[in-house]
Amino acid sequence: MKLIFEKSIPGRDGFSLPSDLFEEIEIDKDIPEDFLDKNKKNLVEVSEVDVIRHFTKLSKLNYGVDDGLYPLGSCTMKYNPRINEKMASLGQFTHAHPLASIKMIQGSLEVMYQLNLLLCEITGMDQYTMAPASGAHGELTGNLIMRQYFVDHGEKRTKMLIPDSAHGTNPASAAMAGFEVIEIKSTSNGTVDLDALQNAMDEHTVGLMLTNPNTVGLYDGGIESIERIIHQKGGLLYYDGANLNASLGIMRPGDVGFDVVHLNLHKTFSTPHGGGGPGAGVIGVKERLIPYLPTPIIDYNANEKYFYLKDNGEKSIGMVRSFWGNFAVLVKTYAWILSLGPEYLYQASKTSIINANYVLKKLKKYYKPAYDQYCGHECTLTGREYKKYNIKTLHIAKRLMDYGIHPPTIYFPHFEPYAEETIMIEPPESESKENLDEFINVMIQISQEAESNPEILLSAPHNTPIGKTDDVLAVTKPILTYDDELRSIEQEK
Amino acid sequence: MRYIPSTEKQQVEMLKDIGVSCFEDLIQNVPKKFRLDKPLNLPPALSELELEEKITNLAKKNTDFYSTKPLIGAGAYRHFIPEAQKSLLQREEFWTCYTPYQPELSQGTLQSMFEFQSFIARLTKMDVIVPSIFDGASATAEAALMALRLTHRNKIIISKLIHPHYLKTIYTYLAPHHIEIIELPCQDGLTQMKQLEQILDESTAALIVQSPNFLGGIENLSQFSEMVHQKKALMIDIIAESMSLGILKAPGDLGVDIVAGNVQSFGMDLNLGGPYNAFLATKKQYIRQIPGRIAGETKDARGNRAFVMTFRAREQDIRREKATSNMCTNHNLNVVAANIYLSLMGTEGIYQYALLNAKMAHYLEKKLLKSGKFEKIFNYPYFNEFLIQYKGEIEELNQILSNHHFLPPLAVYPLIPEKKYENALLFAVTEIFNRNELDHITSILS
Amino acid sequence: MSNKVVEGLYYSQSDEWLKVEKDVATIGISDYAQDQLGDIVYIEEIKIGKSVQKGDVLTTVESVKAVSDVYTPIGGEIVEVNQSLMENPATINKDPYESGWIAKIKMSKPEEINDLMNAADYAQFRKE
Repeated sequence: MKLIFEKSIPGRDGFSLPSDLFEEIEIDKDIPEDFLDKNKKNLVEVSEVDVIRHFTKLSKLNYGVDDGLYPLGSCTMKYNPRINEKMASLGQFTHAHPLASIKMIQGSLEVMYQLNLLLCEITGMDQYTMAPASGAHGELTGNLIMRQYFVDHGEKRTKMLIPDSAHGTNPASAAMAGFEVIEIKSTSNGTVDLDALQNAMDEHTVGLMLTNPNTVGLYDGGIESIERIIHQKGGLLYYDGANLNASLGIMRPGDVGFDVVHLNLHKTFSTPHGGGGPGAGVIGVKERLIPYLPTPIIDYNANEKYFYLKDNGEKSIGMVRSFWGNFAVLVKTYAWILSLGPEYLYQASKTSIINANYVLKKLKKYYKPAYDQYCGHECTLTGREYKKYNIKTLHIAKRLMDYGIHPPTIYFPHFEPYAEETIMIEPPESESKENLDEFINVMIQISQEAESNPEILLSAPHNTPIGKTDDVLAVTKPILTYDDELRSIEQEK
Repeated sequence: MRYIPSTEKQQVEMLKDIGVSCFEDLIQNVPKKFRLDKPLNLPPALSELELEEKITNLAKKNTDFYSTKPLIGAGAYRHFIPEAQKSLLQREEFWTCYTPYQPELSQGTLQSMFEFQSFIARLTKMDVIVPSIFDGASATAEAALMALRLTHRNKIIISKLIHPHYLKTIYTYLAPHHIEIIELPCQDGLTQMKQLEQILDESTAALIVQSPNFLGGIENLSQFSEMVHQKKALMIDIIAESMSLGILKAPGDLGVDIVAGNVQSFGMDLNLGGPYNAFLATKKQYIRQIPGRIAGETKDARGNRAFVMTFRAREQDIRREKATSNMCTNHNLNVVAANIYLSLMGTEGIYQYALLNAKMAHYLEKKLLKSGKFEKIFNYPYFNEFLIQYKGEIEELNQILSNHHFLPPLAVYPLIPEKKYENALLFAVTEIFNRNELDHITSILS
Repeated sequence: MSNKVVEGLYYSQSDEWLKVEKDVATIGISDYAQDQLGDIVYIEEIKIGKSVQKGDVLTTVESVKAVSDVYTPIGGEIVEVNQSLMENPATINKDPYESGWIAKIKMSKPEEINDLMNAADYAQFRKE
């Protein structure tokens, strides 16, 4: 499809100007010539109609949750309720300036304050910060909180334990917080190897970052021992909330003994992913860690009855961003929790677990599970059986597109020998049985094609807007802007 | 429940198919002692109507910001957003999709990233653009970390006049890494150059300057770049008000090596501070140390142009603890928002709007000075934000402006507690005002 | 899966090979390693004259979907670097044992080669 730049016609415009342009002010008298660009920045010249058509067409090249099943494992691609969007777009919210005096933003502050209480109850934690903008941003914040806790207690702890099955953000966040990452192997059951954990945990270790259910979709049955091992040596336990959709009303990380929790509001709490964000990765902590939370936190003055932004004091890690949080995302989360209430929050998790186990049961004959046991809200299958036909998981994923289904997560988790050629499927509560049955049938059909007609998988996808892409060319001959493209065309001439 | 389609009867069937008698059999690995035996203590579910009323009532507890035009900016600017952009952003294909890991089903997002990168490259005259870091503060911190990796040095010099939140965020991000941070003071509303000569040395990784700076002043970036490059350090430019790029010289023309730019002004609502978006821009030779996702052009199996995420080996899902950053989810929908905004504005629109911003700000400043109630603090060049001394009581000014439905300017003293700022106000003026309003503001304050 | 080994070379557990001629060792990565990485798109610059110890990271090679550090199995001074790889890193995929060599090191402790595997042992090691 053409780029917007290729639709540019000199003299066209897509904007309107007020009639009064303050012509009498001569800006080059106020701003020295040296600072002013002599030329206008050459962007594009298109009409409003061109823009509407261009982006409407672009949008149609995307596939969203509204288009159908989006079973990406560990991503929780659930339905994004419309009322949430409307609530977040109320003018009093959207036009609120972050530095307006607190008496002008009482409504916004109350939303954040109330949301904190709801999230504390759902997860068994004592206080949340609304600042982090994403899961990984929350992880960094959480790691810095733990670091600050030990600095404050005069302890030198430099290592962070992370299971080999963890998301890449875990080790990357720990490294950004200055910790040395120690990888803990998983057992043949897919859970943390308790002996390895016991051996690795010592007085120089901060603690453990754990996802539960873990990244292969299994509840770690050893969670009690894990908690004991970490806390016995004075460490802290970090909960990666990527998979909280399996736990609402079932188990609270705070009750298990987790000290720091991050929640991906754009996963479990239904706020949209937006093609990669914005989300929010709020961090909840137990009481002893509250002093280290980023500043400010939202508080309520009960005497004078107003909400305010409280400086979190000298022990705070400081700020991790500008202003207070991804507010629009917080409103949507708040709306979702209020819509479901305790009963349907539990139903959401229960349904997602039943969905995942149903898919696992129906497909395990065709795609060998990485671990043959009941799963949480997602299941990890593999495409190993089809290697003999030269078919890899990638081909299975691409073939799914031909059937109008977005592929699950592939090649994650990846660690030998259990999890290779993985296909991780997460069918959240907003998927009906009929949708799952259709997906299951297509997956079975593809497994048969892999045997009978592998060529059709190898050449897939066939009916998507574009075919398989050359990722090598994108690095070896980088074209990262339209001007790069123009230069490369010039060179070829 | 309207968001959970499967019925109780269907769930019973599914459990039977799975081969268990009840749901609890599936969660055997959750130790019994941790399983909740009663419902969460939360308010009961609200109907959609009840929810709408509840949250609308909360929103009403805010000032009616829609009809309260802000004279405050300070890193968050209210600009006009064309309806065409808002309308296009409603398309679910843009906002209900995931990160574009599967390019065959994500060309809309990927091409939009590529187009935005192209726009920013032209606005900044830089080569490589990462379209989305969360916001100006996190992008600034990431730029500092990037400079440390590129130079293998351990000292960062920062202008005191970068946004106070950005400054705090840098300290937070760098805290674990044993980095020496030195702040350059302010002189006449601009970053002091004299002291820099003494501090700059072979251990300096980068100098970080914001322009226009937090107090509105346009910094002499080319001179800073020259000094910094003599010591083979890197020049980092922070932009909090991206609209300024419409008329000011591009950082790429001023010797800047890394730009971190907040693009909230390109079509994003204020939203109490988020979500916004920031880009990172750099030179080609530094691409392997830049954090965040980049879209690139390539060919598909049919020989057609296609877009993918590229230079992926920098990222956390591949390189784990050795990644250039932990960035995963970013603010990609805001990239689409900014891309549509810039497409509508185009060459002429961005220029005209930026020019109008500057003219209106200077118009208001002149008017306020003429009123006799205000005094100049600095004699510095600025874009659409200026610092000015109020001769009266700030409390009173706030009251007057609020009564007339204007959001008062920022009193900078609480953020920069220096005596000379006690009565200093930072005014921001954008195209949302008109001459009548600016005259009205002057007259109610005189 | 590709796993060609060449007789007469030494191999490390991290999949580097070593060819010894007098006191100079040539280093590359094995056929197995290049196959695991896939299409190699980049190799990080190596500085000539730098001295390294056994186990140090010599360079990093990058494919589209993976990154791998190349460790030197032997200590010494880097005396030569295969500059042609900077332009054409894919040579490592095409010809890992000949034109895809990475660097030459003047060994400071030649006895370190005794810790490495021969071709037969390495073939067995990667089969398991």
